[in-house]
This record gives sequence, C-alpha cells and structure tokens, in this order.
Amino acid sequence: MINRRLLFCGVFMVAGLFLITFLVNAQAFGVKKKRPKLHEYGNVVINNFSEKAKMSPVVFKHWLHRSKYTCRLCHIDIGFAMQAGGTGMTEADNQAGMYCGACHNGGEAFGPQEMSSNGASIPTCDRCHSYGKDVEFKYDFYTFRKNLPVERFGNGIDWLKAEEQNLVTLKDYLPGVSIKRSKIQEPKELDLSAKEPNMPDIIFSHKKHTVWSGCELCHPEIFTVKKDAQPFSMQEIFAGKYCGFCHGTVAFPNIDCQRCHTKVVI
Amino acid sequence: MNTGESFLRKFVTAFVLLILLGLIPDPDDYAAAGQYWDFPKLPPPHMYGNVLINRLSEKNGVKPVFFSHWSHRSKYTCRVCHFELDFEFEVNKTEITEEDNRNGIFCGTCHNGKEAFGHTPKNCDKCHTGTVDLDKAKFYDLAIKVPRGFFGNKIDWGKAIRYEVIKPIYSIFHREEQPLAFRKRLELKAEWNYVPPAVFPHQAHTQWLDCANCHPDIFNIRKKTTKNFAMQYILDRKFCGVCHLKVAFPLDDCTGCHPAMSRKKRR
Repeated sequence: MINRRLLFCGVFMVAGLFLITFLVNAQAFGVKKKRPKLHEYGNVVINNFSEKAKMSPVVFKHWLHRSKYTCRLCHIDIGFAMQAGGTGMTEADNQAGMYCGACHNGGEAFGPQEMSSNGASIPTCDRCHSYGKDVEFKYDFYTFRKNLPVERFGNGIDWLKAEEQNLVTLKDYLPGVSIKRSKIQEPKELDLSAKEPNMPDIIFSHKKHTVWSGCELCHPEIFTVKKDAQPFSMQEIFAGKYCGFCHGTVAFPNIDCQRCHTKVVI
Repeated sequence: MNTGESFLRKFVTAFVLLILLGLIPDPDDYAAAGQYWDFPKLPPPHMYGNVLINRLSEKNGVKPVFFSHWSHRSKYTCRVCHFELDFEFEVNKTEITEEDNRNGIFCGTCHNGKEAFGHTPKNCDKCHTGTVDLDKAKFYDLAIKVPRGFFGNKIDWGKAIRYEVIKPIYSIFHREEQPLAFRKRLELKAEWNYVPPAVFPHQAHTQWLDCANCHPDIFNIRKKTTKNFAMQYILDRKFCGVCHLKVAFPLDDCTGCHPAMSRKKRR
C-alpha cells in the first residue's frame, strides 16, 4: 500500500517536473526577448541587504546619474562594481561617506535627511529605497528626454551627442575621492576586423569612450592592453562579456549592429 | 495458455508495427501541407496581418485599436517598428499606453502630426475602430500595383521591394542607413526524410529586417547552435513562425522555403 502511494507520489512529481520544464521551455526559445522601456533601461535594483533590513530595495537610475557624472567617477574612483548587487555596500558604508554616500551626503547630492522650508528635517529614504513604491521623483525621464538628441534603443537618447553638444555636463572629479590626473592623449581609432565574411569591420573609437570611461574602466581587466592578444567573439559579447559589460545593460545595446560594424566592406 | 500469450504478443507486435507504418508519411502529403499541419485559418487578403490591439483600450472605455500591417509595410520596413521602436511580435504584448504615445514613443513616434496623423482627440476614431475588417478598397488600390503572391495578402512583398514598386523607409532615426551587405544563403537540412532542405536567403530578409530582429534572441548567431529549431515549434509561433504565420507569407506556402518540394508548378 505504502509502495503504491510512493509510486503515485513519484509519478506526480515526475509529471509535475515535466510540466514545469515544458512551461519554462515554452517561453525560453525561438521568440524575441522583452527589452526594457526607455525609462527603465539601465535601471538597477540593489537588494543585498535592503529587504533583510525590512527596507524596500534600491532602484538606481543610470540615466539620471550619467547625465551629471562620468561612468568612471562611480565605477573607478568610488569603486562600484559593474554588476548589479556586485558592490555589496551597506547603510553604514554610505553613512561613512563611501559608495553612494560619497555624494549623497547633503553636499554634492541629497543626504539621508533634507531640510524642509520650515526647518524640519525630512528623511529621504524613499528616494532611493523606492522599489515597489509610488514615489514622486524630482526628475521625470520623459520630460528630461525632450531636450536631448533622440536615438533608438537604450534610453532613446544619443548620450554621445548630448555630451558633445554640452547638453549634459559631466563631472569627472570628486574632491576628496578622485585623484588629480593629467590628460592622456587617447590612442587612435581601432580597426577590428570581423570574423564573419560580409560583416563590416568594427571601428572602435577610443575618443568616444574615454570621455565617459577613462582608460581604467576597460583596461586591463576587461580588455588587455596588448593589441590582438585577446580574441573575443560576438557570442561572448551577447553573453555580457567584453563590450557586453556596458553595451546591453547601460550603454546602447549590442543589437544596434551598424553602430559598431561601421566600416563598409568593398 | 502459452499459445494464447504468443498470439497476444503477435497481435500486439502487429498492431504496433501497423501504427508505426501509419506514422511513416507519404511524401506526397507534404505537398499539400496545409492539409497535414494545423495552420491558422487564412483571412481574406485585405485582412491578412490586420491586428486588433486591446491591452488596455476596452478597460479604459475606448474601442480596441486597428492596425494593418499591409498599409504600414508599404511605407516602412518591419525594422522601423519592430527594431527601432521596439514593438513586440505578439499582439497585446507591447506595453503601449496613451501616455507613451503622447511622450513620442511607440505609435507616437510617427503619429505626432508630422510624420503621420497626430495623436489628437480629433483622430481617435482613425485607430480606435474596434474592427479589423477595414480599408478593403484602399488595399486593392495597392494590390493591383504590386507583384502578385499566392498566400496571405496575395502580394509578393519580396518582389515588390526588390523591383522598387514600393520603397519602404529603412530607418526613421538614420535616414542614410542601408541594409548590411550580408548575403549568405543558408541551406537548412529538414528534420524529416523526403523533405528537401529549406533555403534561407539573408538578403531577402535584411531588406525588411535588422540582424537583431532575429539574432540572437530568436536564432543564435553561431551556426547550428539554435536549439529546438523544428517545424513543430515554428507552428507554435516560434522561430520563422514569429512572422511567417500572420504577417509574412504564411507557412501554407511550403515551396516558399522548401523550393525543391514537389508541387504542381506555380502559376
């Protein structure tokens, strides 16, 4: 009797497993994946400790921060990891002036408390710990986008043009955190030949990248400094390595083929 | 007892064999694939590819939105909406809202009063029609000017663009942009015996689509690494079936992809 019951359980479990794998598979292949909306692109939910501490997770908006600061400032000088949740900062870290707290201290940007007009201090927790909450933010994405050059994909903003035309001004130096760096002449454009015949070659512009990323964001960890020492494939980029670290998550996504594969093959 | 058992065994074996024999299909069957496969029923030509969008409309007390692929694809490539404007390949899956359109995304990118008629109260009825059986006369005005096809809209859209009878816009963001000169013709071995290989011309697709419409989400970019690429899934609106069931020429047209398939010569 027990055996039969066990058998029944077993059959049910196997059938259940099949059903689950079928349902998972039903979604997982052969169709287009969903892309985030323009205002969601580059948004990151940070939840290393938030929910454990009974707080809403933090929603970090790349579009808002990159309209004022270079990528390098946070990812190199302040030391943020390149993966969501990879930094693992704590509230104590922030209050000690590290990570978010390097700017969000009431000086460079709003701190944990703000003074209202009548002199009372209001906690600002919600402005970052906003996941799942209906928070009214100071900046609206679509209003912000209206004044910037439009581009397809990502945030729907041509960030490079916006920077070139001084529509956004980027800070690259934070007193007390950054070191004084002398300007290095960036290397020339790189011509990367595509493996696939008929695919146009890639023209990589150091100049366009160094404005935002300096040298350190890519070298030597993501790309070695020696030329051609490190073959990489589109397959790996799609999987989030090499160019895919930024292009696909924050910078324009790597589905925009013609933006990198620009050199016409004759 | 023994003889009875062996008879039963023989009977069962014969039965199984018969069933297996029945499963081996007659190659002629493929020619009339429409009878074999359970294809979606084809609407009349002017309604093929017409879509009724009703994700929020009726909830918000307005009529669902009528969208016709034929009228849009005669002026814009698939790529403009499905690549640059990020429309999904499934009805009601794109999270379009009235506010989005007014913010200049999705329909509102073009329907802003400049590129196409605006998203204004005066024009509500032009899209929020609640029916897909519209614009028949306009459709035939176009259909008589373009090369004839056999299924779907009964328009050979591939020829129409190749012979420049229609000149759909390739990009609304970069007007100078041209399709990549990627012209590789793939020959894909069919999964069944008797079925001649499918032929995939990149060039015929890149005129309408972007590389990223298919790669890497639908088809992997590395040869022979796309998993589950089989006819049964194509019929389930995956892979080729994403387009070739409801908008591009439907799968009823076997020779469209398997050109060596035996069928009476097309007119």
